[in-house]
Amino acid sequence: MNGRKLEGPAIDFAGLSPLLALLGGAVVVLMVGLLRGRAAREHGVPALSFATLAASLGLTIWQLDSSEELVAGALAIDGLGTVLNILFVSAGMATVLLSWRALAPRESAHGEFHALLLTSIAGMVVLAWSTNLVTVFLGLELLSIPLYVLCATEMRRATSLESGLKYLIVGSLGSAVFLYGLALIYGATGSTDFAGIAEANSAVGLSSDPLMLTGIALSVVGLGFKASVAPFHQWTPDVYEGAPTPVTAFMAVATKAAAFGIFLRLFDVALIDSATAWAPALAALATVTIIAGNVGALGQSSLKRMLAYSSVAQAGYMLAGVVVTSGLGVRATVFYLAVYLVMNLAAFAVIIARERETSLGDDLAAVEGIGATRPVLAWPMTIAMLSLAGIPATGGFIGKFFLIDATVDGGYAWLGFVIVIGSMISLAYYLRVIAAIWMRDAPAVAQSTPVPAGPRPALAGGSPEGDAGPGSVALGAESPPAQAGAVVYGGEPGGGKAHWEVALVAVLCAALTVAAGVVPQPLFDLVQRCGDAFTNLV
Amino acid sequence: MAEVVFFLAAIGALAGAVGTVAVRNPFYSVLALVMHLLSLALLFLLLRSEFVAAAQVVVYAGAVMVLYMFVVAYVGGTSMPLGPGGTRSMRIGSIVFAGVLFVELAIAILGTGLKALGTEGAPYEPGFGTPARIGELLLTKFLLPFEIASFLLLIAAVGAVTLARRRGGLHDAEEQRITPLDLVRPVSTGTMAEAVGTRTNATTRERTGLEYGGHSGRAGPEDGDDGERTGLEAGVAPGGDTGPEDR
Repeated sequence: MNGRKLEGPAIDFAGLSPLLALLGGAVVVLMVGLLRGRAAREHGVPALSFATLAASLGLTIWQLDSSEELVAGALAIDGLGTVLNILFVSAGMATVLLSWRALAPRESAHGEFHALLLTSIAGMVVLAWSTNLVTVFLGLELLSIPLYVLCATEMRRATSLESGLKYLIVGSLGSAVFLYGLALIYGATGSTDFAGIAEANSAVGLSSDPLMLTGIALSVVGLGFKASVAPFHQWTPDVYEGAPTPVTAFMAVATKAAAFGIFLRLFDVALIDSATAWAPALAALATVTIIAGNVGALGQSSLKRMLAYSSVAQAGYMLAGVVVTSGLGVRATVFYLAVYLVMNLAAFAVIIARERETSLGDDLAAVEGIGATRPVLAWPMTIAMLSLAGIPATGGFIGKFFLIDATVDGGYAWLGFVIVIGSMISLAYYLRVIAAIWMRDAPAVAQSTPVPAGPRPALAGGSPEGDAGPGSVALGAESPPAQAGAVVYGGEPGGGKAHWEVALVAVLCAALTVAAGVVPQPLFDLVQRCGDAFTNLV
Repeated sequence: MAEVVFFLAAIGALAGAVGTVAVRNPFYSVLALVMHLLSLALLFLLLRSEFVAAAQVVVYAGAVMVLYMFVVAYVGGTSMPLGPGGTRSMRIGSIVFAGVLFVELAIAILGTGLKALGTEGAPYEPGFGTPARIGELLLTKFLLPFEIASFLLLIAAVGAVTLARRRGGLHDAEEQRITPLDLVRPVSTGTMAEAVGTRTNATTRERTGLEYGGHSGRAGPEDGDDGERTGLEAGVAPGGDTGPEDR
């Protein structure tokens, strides 16, 4: 137009590279998933996916010290972004290992499963690096939409589909409320940039303006849905229980890290001058969350449901780090996110291993007596439970200590008390798991051997009911393979073997949990970098 | 004049929005949504955003609504009127919460100290709202959001295909190799004959009480090589020429 030459914005490709690697990898994985060879799809795709994540991790470490704006004020790379990216990518690598030989990617095609996973991680990176409300919302959607599909990837199990649908509806509601809040914040401040919002907020003195306060309240609600903060947590147990377990593990750790990343950035950077308005509200929400999560977990017999309620409670602990609006609070939150990642992944890896070994699924009975029979799984689960409860010499203890330190320092000592009381309640259900592991005998059915057809959800081909039904004659010739398939395909492949990579994830994460509790200094040094994003915090 | 158009469009938008959720018949619901979107386009015109208004009409009121119409027609439309779900207390609770939210938003809009809300707003500058200006913004300030939105659409399409493509029985369809045997195979046998899935699954599922019905004759994913053969064997096995349709 007018012959005017349009100047494009300066793009810092080096800083953007961890994100570009993920998006490029997603496309490549999607293409490789179309290859004909079975090995290429079943092993090549996960390997490529893992390599993509490893590349992104390497690029992040390369960019660890950079702190600059990336593209026209949409993203910025800084300490918080890079440290959170390390968490996302680590969670992604663990998820790739856990889902390598799982049912979900086979049901939904490997290429698509891993492309969705990588895109979701890319969405988290966008969210955690964003410095603009437009980017925040797009990042949130890029994170969520693949997750809705991933939850439903075990397509022959009704609960998986139900969990995907439930997450879609609740997540969309949360996104809509969040978007409404962002629109009101934009209306009040006239800017979508975080810096512009903070400037308008402090210059005009908007901290008590009803429009701004309503915008903040709606944003809290929207993010509360994503981070499963009570009372917006009701979807969490159902979705966590229904989703394929590797996806649940990923959702539990990575989504939470992303949600808290944006909590920190939006509230401690853009809305910092309204802290007097939102901090007490968030503190109340944190209290409700800690109580609701811990009390809800008490009566659960399904391990996944229990961990879902436990994740609600942990979200409450981490919210305390946001409330205090101090550099210490930011560091404590990120430290806890890192510890939470490894201890939860260890627990979920053990659940996955037992799901494959027994026919009990994720019931508490699946881990009964594994202290004697499967010590390689029993120890990681024990360490994860102790760490989640906050027992000394585990990372969970240091993390909680750090958070309580931040609350006392920030003038919210009563919130520290709530954290302690919550941890005391939580011992009841964490210790129940440990008791089941070490003090009970393995149930007789747990070590079941493959039973051909019978009560299994047989694939009819060679089974009696199949023979009786119409159309089975045509398939009579190949009944033995069909039968073998029936056993394995039963969803809970009883008598299957746990794969080494699952045990590896469990052992590695448990080792890291202990390491974070015994020598926390390296992790302290890492989270120390997160402070540089928050110039106006003490 | 502008006031008259504004109130007409605003009433139309609100009535359309209320109608979308209040009407029981999904078909009328979609029509109400069309009315809502057209009224919004009118409001955009009042804001001098001609391009956005046109896009609203063409893309939303036009293309997307036609798709909605197809979906409504496909899944049953009038035969399944939507009713209010939940118990009585839940319905009352939802109304109370909606009322509280409405009051809160009303307070937010009316009680704000921002002075510009009651005025004419920012002055008009030539070129505002033109495609050229919007394109320029998408290529400069909002370059990255624009690119991310495109990736979002890609992955949404991938997700939709993933969910829609695979229903029970299609698992090893991709294992099928094209061989000369396909040419001599009788019509309506082979993988497609099995894939229609009208066979004993329902009874199997009832008897076992588990969701994993699976499909007749389909091999599980673990026994890969067997699964690869399945489709072809079904076509050439003795009696393989009797597909489900023949029974």
